[in-house]
Amino acid sequence: MNDLVIAILVLAPTVGGLAAWRMHGRAVELVAYAALYITGATGLGMALAALQTGRVTAFGGIVSIDALGAYLLALTVLVAAMALAASPRYIRHELATNALRPHVEGRYYALFLWFVATLIVVPLVDNLGLLWVAIEATTIVSALLVGINRSPEAIEAAWKYLILGTIGVGFALLATLLAYASSVRVLGESSDALNWTRLISIAPQLNPNLLRLSFVFALAGYGTKIGLAPFHTWLPDAHSQAPSPISALLSGVSLIAAFYALVRFHLVTAAGLGSGFSSTLLVAFGLLSIAVALPFLIRQEDIKRLLAYSSVEHMGVLALGLGFGGPLALLGVIAHIGFHAFTKATLFISAGELVQQYGSRRLSAIRGTLTAAPVAGGALGSGIVLIGGLPPSGIFVTEFAIIVGGVTRGYGLAAALAALLLALCFVAMAVHGSRIVWGHSGPVQAQGFDRGMAVRLALPLLAVAVLGLWTPGPLATALESIRAVLAVPGV
Amino acid sequence: MTFTPLEAARLLDTCAAGVVLIGVLIAETRSMGRAIWLVAAQAVLLSAAVVGVGIATGSAHLVLGGLLTLVSRGIAVPLILGRILRASPVRVERNPYLGPRVSLIVAIAIVFAAALAVDSATLGGSFDGSINAPRALPASVAEVLTGLLIAMTRRKGLSIVIGLLVFENGLALTAFSLTYGMPFVVELGATFDLLLVVVAVAVYARRMLTVFGTLSTDQLRNLRG
Repeated sequence: MNDLVIAILVLAPTVGGLAAWRMHGRAVELVAYAALYITGATGLGMALAALQTGRVTAFGGIVSIDALGAYLLALTVLVAAMALAASPRYIRHELATNALRPHVEGRYYALFLWFVATLIVVPLVDNLGLLWVAIEATTIVSALLVGINRSPEAIEAAWKYLILGTIGVGFALLATLLAYASSVRVLGESSDALNWTRLISIAPQLNPNLLRLSFVFALAGYGTKIGLAPFHTWLPDAHSQAPSPISALLSGVSLIAAFYALVRFHLVTAAGLGSGFSSTLLVAFGLLSIAVALPFLIRQEDIKRLLAYSSVEHMGVLALGLGFGGPLALLGVIAHIGFHAFTKATLFISAGELVQQYGSRRLSAIRGTLTAAPVAGGALGSGIVLIGGLPPSGIFVTEFAIIVGGVTRGYGLAAALAALLLALCFVAMAVHGSRIVWGHSGPVQAQGFDRGMAVRLALPLLAVAVLGLWTPGPLATALESIRAVLAVPGV
Repeated sequence: MTFTPLEAARLLDTCAAGVVLIGVLIAETRSMGRAIWLVAAQAVLLSAAVVGVGIATGSAHLVLGGLLTLVSRGIAVPLILGRILRASPVRVERNPYLGPRVSLIVAIAIVFAAALAVDSATLGGSFDGSINAPRALPASVAEVLTGLLIAMTRRKGLSIVIGLLVFENGLALTAFSLTYGMPFVVELGATFDLLLVVVAVAVYARRMLTVFGTLSTDQLRNLRG
């Protein structure tokens, strides 16, 4: 039974993509909706089942979804639904202005669905080798999407993403090999020697040198895909040049998929060596990422690059919180992943809308949206307030939890520094945001009020604001069971 | 045909040495056509080692994995790269960041450094049923670094990709010398990914030729800040 559901989950977008390749117009949109609807329903069902029972397994143990995997799975299908819902409007505008050639429409939806398929595989597999295969596949498929419009800038961004992503993930393969080498010495050449569940149970017996080296390579390798500084240089290019719905998917889910892989390596390393080694590295690279993002946020001139650097900042926050450890910070990390995903996806979608209406990506051109483009402009303005972490945003609560959690775990200095940097990042974002909303607008290509778009943009933002104030009981239980997966034994 | 484990170990060491030697030659050459042939030759050596050890240990999955390497890295990838090369007006790396002579010296230095620094006894060590091939692991590390050297010091997109493939061959050799490869399903997935990467590279190489008229990455300098 589980086998069948998992097969449908992965095959629906794969087959849908094959069908979409040569189609266009309303038909291809319907195919994409249908495929994602099937995946979304089965994915959410699987995630619920995994959260309720603790673990769902299928295909003889190759597939094993725990609470953390269920969370990533649910997040993936929800953000994919947001991005797909925004796609027809975005793509039609690109086709109408000749930014995209007509025959590319079907390929866009095909690649979109395949991108979703590769992202969905990430939380399903228990095997660190297959996890690597899935993450490498997300890079390749999304690189094809980044450069889909063939402008010189998009080709440059896609090329850098492809090359740097492949080299980065190559290091993650090295990390996986070292983990395998250490476990083969304990388990022999059994097929589950790379299974995460198995590795963590034998972690204390693993060779500490191999384990240490393995984590360093995992941090550099998956860190590249997460966008942790100093491995982040591809990220602002790729996330800003991609079609905006794809930017939403890249920032909201694809970064988190790589973070998920790093979490698995961190847990094995911490179980084998004690949490000190990997935690210290995570805290250091987390702080560095926030610090590196700050000047680029202040001096930014491109609206989508602004959002991309904000992603570097927030990935830093996640690494920091994971490094701090302890119940409070980990709970913060888990909720932060979701809040960031929904807010950032909405921001990219509304920014894409503004770029199309103003015919420019320059922050100096996109002004006075309150009168000129109230729906997208309003969403962008409130999204910036939420992502900056102003109360009552959920992001305020999670960042607060991470920082207080850090202090209670004895990382007082790092937590204080992080608090200062985050405040500065907020100021930088707020200054840009207020100019976008209140400034004097130039000429705008007027577009009719779209009620569907208004609802699609408002809903996720509202959720982030409300959930910051109030957590319903079932959600709190779910968060608690996800946190239990992240807890390092003995801490 | 039978192989004793000792012969298999010698085969692995010899092939690893051959792969590294070819890597050094790739670092030195400026002709992209020759570089593609050399990368293919590396793959052939790599697969010979895997198949040889597979026969010696009686492991069907190693023999199959070796043949997979031969078909993907040895045949399919070079064919795709050759197509890109034929479409490109310029087929030599005219002005790399690091010239051929310096590249050669650095590549040789990398090999010696890896041979001295990487001790397979502390890192890998032998375990039950393993074949003792002490030179393969340092060779694989040298190969990974040589690939990075090539990818970082070239200007032409195709040369960078060749560096990437040398890096990937190094990773495959590392996998093999540490643990005789990964579980077969992982190998299969990794091979599939490698082919996808090369296809994606081919797609973008064609776009670069259409939009810029060249494969030179000098054109890729617009995105800043």
